Amino acid sequence: MSFIEFKHIGKKYAGAEHKSVDDFNLNIEEKEFIAFVGPSGCGKSTTLRMIAGFEEITEGDLYIDGKRVNETAPRDRGIAMVFQNYALYPHMTVEKNIGYGLKNMKMPADQIKKKVDWAIDILGLQEFRYRKPKNLSGGQRQRVALGRAIVKNQKVFLMDEPLSNLDAKLRVSMRTEISKLHREMGATTIYVTHDQVEAMTMADRIVIMKEGVIQQVGKPMELYDHPVNKFVAGFIGSPQMNFFDVTLKGNEVTFEDGNKLMLPEAILKKLNGKEGEMTLGIRGEDLKMDAQNLELYKENKMKAVITDTEVMGNENNLYFQFGGCQAVARVSKYEISQVGDEIEFVFMPSKIHFFDKETEMNYL
Amino acid sequence: MLTKKQKTFNWILAVVLLLLSVFFLFPVIWMLANSFKPDAAITADMNSIAAFIPPALNENYFENYITILTDTNFLRYMINTLGYAALLIVLGVIVNGLAGYALAKINFPFRDQWLLIIMMLLIVPTETVITIHFLIIAKAGLLNTVLGYVLPMIVNPFNIFLFRQVFVSLPDDVYEAAQLDFCSPVKYFFTMVLPMSKTVVATVSVFTFLGVWNDYLWPSLVFTSSDLLTAQIGLNSITSNDNTTMGQTLAVITLITIPVIIIYALFSKQIVEGVTSTGSKEG
Amino acid sequence: MKKKESILGMAFFGPALVLLTLFLFLPMVLTLVFSFTDYFALNPDMTHFVGLENYINIFKDELFVKSFFNTVKFVIIIVPCQCIGALVLALAINKVTHCKKYFKVAFFIPVVMSLAVVSTLWMDIYSPEGILNTLLAHFGISAQPFIHSAKQALPSIAVMSVWQGVGYQMIIFLGGLQNINPALYEAAEMDHASAWQKFKDITLPELKPLCVFVFITVTIGAFRMLVQPMVMTGGGPDHSTYTLVYDIYETGTMNWEMGLASTMAIVFTIFVVILTIIQNVLTKGKEEKKHVNKKAKNI
Repeated sequence: MSFIEFKHIGKKYAGAEHKSVDDFNLNIEEKEFIAFVGPSGCGKSTTLRMIAGFEEITEGDLYIDGKRVNETAPRDRGIAMVFQNYALYPHMTVEKNIGYGLKNMKMPADQIKKKVDWAIDILGLQEFRYRKPKNLSGGQRQRVALGRAIVKNQKVFLMDEPLSNLDAKLRVSMRTEISKLHREMGATTIYVTHDQVEAMTMADRIVIMKEGVIQQVGKPMELYDHPVNKFVAGFIGSPQMNFFDVTLKGNEVTFEDGNKLMLPEAILKKLNGKEGEMTLGIRGEDLKMDAQNLELYKENKMKAVITDTEVMGNENNLYFQFGGCQAVARVSKYEISQVGDEIEFVFMPSKIHFFDKETEMNYL
Repeated sequence: MLTKKQKTFNWILAVVLLLLSVFFLFPVIWMLANSFKPDAAITADMNSIAAFIPPALNENYFENYITILTDTNFLRYMINTLGYAALLIVLGVIVNGLAGYALAKINFPFRDQWLLIIMMLLIVPTETVITIHFLIIAKAGLLNTVLGYVLPMIVNPFNIFLFRQVFVSLPDDVYEAAQLDFCSPVKYFFTMVLPMSKTVVATVSVFTFLGVWNDYLWPSLVFTSSDLLTAQIGLNSITSNDNTTMGQTLAVITLITIPVIIIYALFSKQIVEGVTSTGSKEG
Repeated sequence: MKKKESILGMAFFGPALVLLTLFLFLPMVLTLVFSFTDYFALNPDMTHFVGLENYINIFKDELFVKSFFNTVKFVIIIVPCQCIGALVLALAINKVTHCKKYFKVAFFIPVVMSLAVVSTLWMDIYSPEGILNTLLAHFGISAQPFIHSAKQALPSIAVMSVWQGVGYQMIIFLGGLQNINPALYEAAEMDHASAWQKFKDITLPELKPLCVFVFITVTIGAFRMLVQPMVMTGGGPDHSTYTLVYDIYETGTMNWEMGLASTMAIVFTIFVVILTIIQNVLTKGKEEKKHVNKKAKNI
């Protein structure tokens, strides 16, 4: 049996027309780091709050460590949580904030002190020990919230968009810190975020949700390389995957602007005879314009004019009109171009995805 | 930045207001100055500016005060009233605070209807039910008891409403975090909600104090025994005594006023906040 | 989980509910019931249902009618003086740049003093050989009887009430003035508005809901006049300062005629409720109008 089991979990708010979470099935193993990711309103936070016990589970069963917990009070579920807005106790010092739960567990004072000292040490909060939350920066507050969660030795950690209120630079450093904490503590962690980069960089497995329904569960690279549908393909990765409306006939793909692309045998085999209108997806880095690839796939060479560039230094994004819409190619810093330049590029055939126009499912 | 004309205007305004405030405060100044004088001096000074100036320091300076504090029960009355006020502050904050919290944060049957009823109760003039209070307390055999005096004064729709308005904006996630820290709802109310809402607790406490300290009608009905009297009723019994001199009367009312002035000096922010909140409720 | 929350909510609300029931709902119901009976508190067994008799009788009762008109007189003097006085003080203090804090305190001090204290103090001030008559003598005005004459007692008490109460409404107005967006005045400045125009076109419209609120609360407050005449004149001389609430209070707790007192209380409550409703209607109407104006400006 897995450590946390969701069996047909659903949530319908009273008076709401649609379910906020629908038929959610998932097994989470002990010590795993799972990220729930999706756009706002996809049900990821609701699911997390159902695990915590702050939202009633209206359908299905939830098991933690083999015990059904649907009706268990939050405090008895053996969980610790880090909240989006930190939820620190405003009138208590850092030290008191971290030790409050232990005090309520009736732990002896000397043990509380030991635990709090350990947390303060690990999180580098020594000099803020006697400050109140209002005198701390966002990052420091986040550390206190983490400290409050880790001292209680709970088996499950829930994190609800913990980094969304921090500035970009701090977010990156806190990411590493949380990963490190997870490695050291080994608590099963469920991490909710709308930021796919956080999910990709931190999680063992990602659960990607949309409108209350799980779209795909998998390791970060699985989701990146083999998205099951257009939504996952578009959500994971930045810049977004390019999508073109195309018509496939035989081995010939026709774009809306008349450009044509010949598909190799291997892909046609996978497509299993499907033809007609569909959506072609390809990531920006799989549009190649280096000499070697241009030579390799020269029969499918395309042309376009750069309309916009995003220069980031290590690599650059080039925007251009192609196939009836805006497309982006991600190129190395050695292939820089200016707005107005005409470029030649090719599609990496093995990286092309085809999605059904209606169901948006990935054909490959 | 101000033009010369504006500067002159400001000065004139300040002077006018200053004169007005002196004129406005003359009863208070007169009270204070003459509470240190024997009646003969009060009458003698009446015709000059000395009426508004305390006498020069002499050995009888505090004579009126000493007479009041030693020859009458007035000190006792003041202590009584302080005790009642303390009791009613504690009970009022707990009872009205718990109710305000329930109306703000807990889902229970007919919550919104209760809130509406509480808001409508704000209109009812309390003078009209005071006779019934008296009847109920008399029927319960609680006349002349502290319990009988305190009981009808604990609950206050306006304070419930005030608490509710403040508690409603407390963040929910702090409550959730506290739950995961093994904090019970009751403990959460006392160790989190009240400390997080110090301002409204202070406002309600200050107004409760002023209400109890300045109340005249209710204690005059409940208390007849002189041991339990409040300062305001004590004032009445002292001034209605023919032997009480004018100087002594002024000393008594000065004594009664001192605590409220201290409270006002300490908590003027809360008082102003409380007063403006009655207005902004409408705006 | 839901059930638990309901129980918790009722447990928290419970103590207040019990006390509310005992000391507000029950008295209100009792007052209503008593008002249709001849309930005499010293002999409750002899109570009869008398229908609307009380309601007819109180209006035939000379003392009640007199107390009603006395109360109206109090309202007529107090309301304009206190409202306008408070507004003028607030405007002046909002504008003044020196000793602002002192002025706020000075005009507020009488508010925190008790009615009984203020009444006692002013009895001395109003006394025939008192400080006020002495001051008047300096201006060549002969001694006035003030609270000792049926003619002057009511205005004297009213003036004292204004003196005591004006600071409260002043603070409310000050709060309102500070809430006005300063950008409005800056914009008016750009449009070359004079000080008077700024007052007329910005300050007054912005303060209007507050003005209605103050007007009604002062009116209700004046209608509730009781302790001042009770301490200073005992309702006299010749019942010239006897008020509605004084009548309710004496009929109920001195003469024990609870039936009659309840009827008066009901009439009085209806009056207050009507005033409150009027206020709500007036302020709501104003807000809608304001809303429409804003929209019009946007177009």
